[in-house]
Amino acid sequence: MRAVENALNITIPDNARLIRNLITGIQYVQDHVIHFYHLHALDWVDIVSALKADPKKTSSLAQSISDWPKSSTEYFKGVQNKLKAFVERGQLGPFANAYWGHPAYKLPPEANLMAVAHYLEALDWQRDVIKMQALLGAKNPHAQTYIVGGMSIPIDPNSQNALNAGSIAFMTGLAEKALEFVKKVYIPDLLAVASFYKEWAGYGGGVGNFLAYGEFPNDNVSNTENLWLPRGIILNKDLSKVHKVDHEKITEYVTHSWYEYSDGNKTSKHPWDGETNYRYTGPQPPYEYLDTDGKYSWLKAPRYDDKPMEVGPLARMLVAYASGHKRVKEVIDSVLQKLGVGPSALFSTLGRVAARGVETLVTAEQIPVWLGQLAENMKKGDLRIHSREGWDPSEWPKEARGYGFHEAPRGALGHWLSIEGRRIKNYQCVVPSTWNGSPRDAKDQRGPYEAALIGTPVADPEQPVEILRTVHSFDPCMACAVHVLDPEGREVTRIKVI
Amino acid sequence: MRAGILGVGNLLTGDDGVGVHVIKELKERYRFPDSVRLIDGGTMGLDLLPFLEDIERLIIIDAVDLKKPPGTIKLIDGDSIPAILGSKISVHQIGLSDLFFAIRMKGLPLKEICLIGIQPGSLETGTELSEEIKMQFDTLISHIIDRLRGWGIEITRRR
Repeated sequence: MRAVENALNITIPDNARLIRNLITGIQYVQDHVIHFYHLHALDWVDIVSALKADPKKTSSLAQSISDWPKSSTEYFKGVQNKLKAFVERGQLGPFANAYWGHPAYKLPPEANLMAVAHYLEALDWQRDVIKMQALLGAKNPHAQTYIVGGMSIPIDPNSQNALNAGSIAFMTGLAEKALEFVKKVYIPDLLAVASFYKEWAGYGGGVGNFLAYGEFPNDNVSNTENLWLPRGIILNKDLSKVHKVDHEKITEYVTHSWYEYSDGNKTSKHPWDGETNYRYTGPQPPYEYLDTDGKYSWLKAPRYDDKPMEVGPLARMLVAYASGHKRVKEVIDSVLQKLGVGPSALFSTLGRVAARGVETLVTAEQIPVWLGQLAENMKKGDLRIHSREGWDPSEWPKEARGYGFHEAPRGALGHWLSIEGRRIKNYQCVVPSTWNGSPRDAKDQRGPYEAALIGTPVADPEQPVEILRTVHSFDPCMACAVHVLDPEGREVTRIKVI
Repeated sequence: MRAGILGVGNLLTGDDGVGVHVIKELKERYRFPDSVRLIDGGTMGLDLLPFLEDIERLIIIDAVDLKKPPGTIKLIDGDSIPAILGSKISVHQIGLSDLFFAIRMKGLPLKEICLIGIQPGSLETGTELSEEIKMQFDTLISHIIDRLRGWGIEITRRR
């Protein structure tokens, strides 16, 4: 949307800006909590160990870190009994290939039991959060209400079929509940888990360069100076300077990717000149060997000014922190203080996990603010949701180019397009998991995942939970994750990112 | 008693989307009583939980690697299903296995599950089903209707 709006020079109305901010904000909050409890937790939490927990001690632990009401001995006893029944029925099936009892698990049984209880509570929590998505976006994660020039949901205080004062009040209630869970469950759990895994502030650092396009325009989206989460670049882990983003410096290599450029293997191309011609030259099944000297990935290698960049919550929070974002700075400083570590600890696997939590908290706090602004506009009689500019293709210039930046939960997402004769001539996307999972480039520079894994200790190569901790900390595109069995029936986990 | 028919899969990767195609077809061909919920599960996992909270009997339609020729259909009943999904036969095991863990842990009323699996032919990018699956499509649907009938649920053809 933003790429087309940029190409055709369309400005969206304020209400559309607010609704887009809300949809993205709610997505951060939901995605990050679900990532923590349902995708990442099992890298840190040993479910089976929870069976050994003393429910009374679990209750004391829970009450010592939060005043969340679900924390009685009986409550944790109930969760433990259900877990016991599940394990005894031999139904740990879903998790049978996980790494229970692995020496890298450090949490005491009580912390594990608390995490299992909150894993389940997060499920109930998310069903309320997605109601906000349903109201604003109709579907999640692919909201259906976006159109070029604005949004397609009407605002009308006098209609039951539009966003009205009632639906805004309803969402405000949900947003408050969402924030309460983040404050009283997610953040305390994050800090509790992190305190047992502090050595992970020393692993998983990666390339040390961070790119954030910034998100949540405070006014017109083209005013890139006025974003609630700022745009910027951090180089070589240096938080004293935030560099400006120039989209012209973004290019992609295919040196080690299964694509061909018309002018050879060593060049890189800006997305406006991008080419996507696939040519698979990798191994045929059964896959035994991947030659990483040649082409070995379906991802291109995006670079900024020829440097690899990490994107995602950590990049956003670092850029905000270094730019002096007041609330982000407060929360990061308080997290660092509670864990007894300095800002350099942020450049790590643990830093990535913590940054996701920080972002969830500050975003959950901001959602009611945007809802309030939407209500204000409505009160003033501003019901505009769509700009009619550019609606008629005959008004378009013969040729146009544009680009749009967005910060998806996983990180910086850019779309570039060129329009010729009222048709899209070229459309290129450079997505977050491509930045983070990038293969090497023509200069043999490593991408963020690869760089982050260097120096990671692995206790048992057959059960590399430590590798998963770092890869999962980036939140790779999980819908595309593929698990396969090798002939001995052992699971080989492969993360395939699109 | 509430029954659910859950079709899962990715519509963009050929036969992988067979479960979703079946749900769409069922809606077009038949009228269902209010006690039956048809669920297009897409590639969702845990997000489906709210749709299953009051379901007692569930039919799941999915592309399953049965190591048989494309189009082969197999009905699998009972408690072995979560374990089967857990042992990575289904291509959607990640979401679904988490889902069954949550269903058990939350003590939901689901007591009977039937997995109707079909061996996919092609998983290449595309929205069309392969010929082998198309040929078996009606058989697949008749299995669903038989199972519903076994549960005492009658459905009627539209028009």
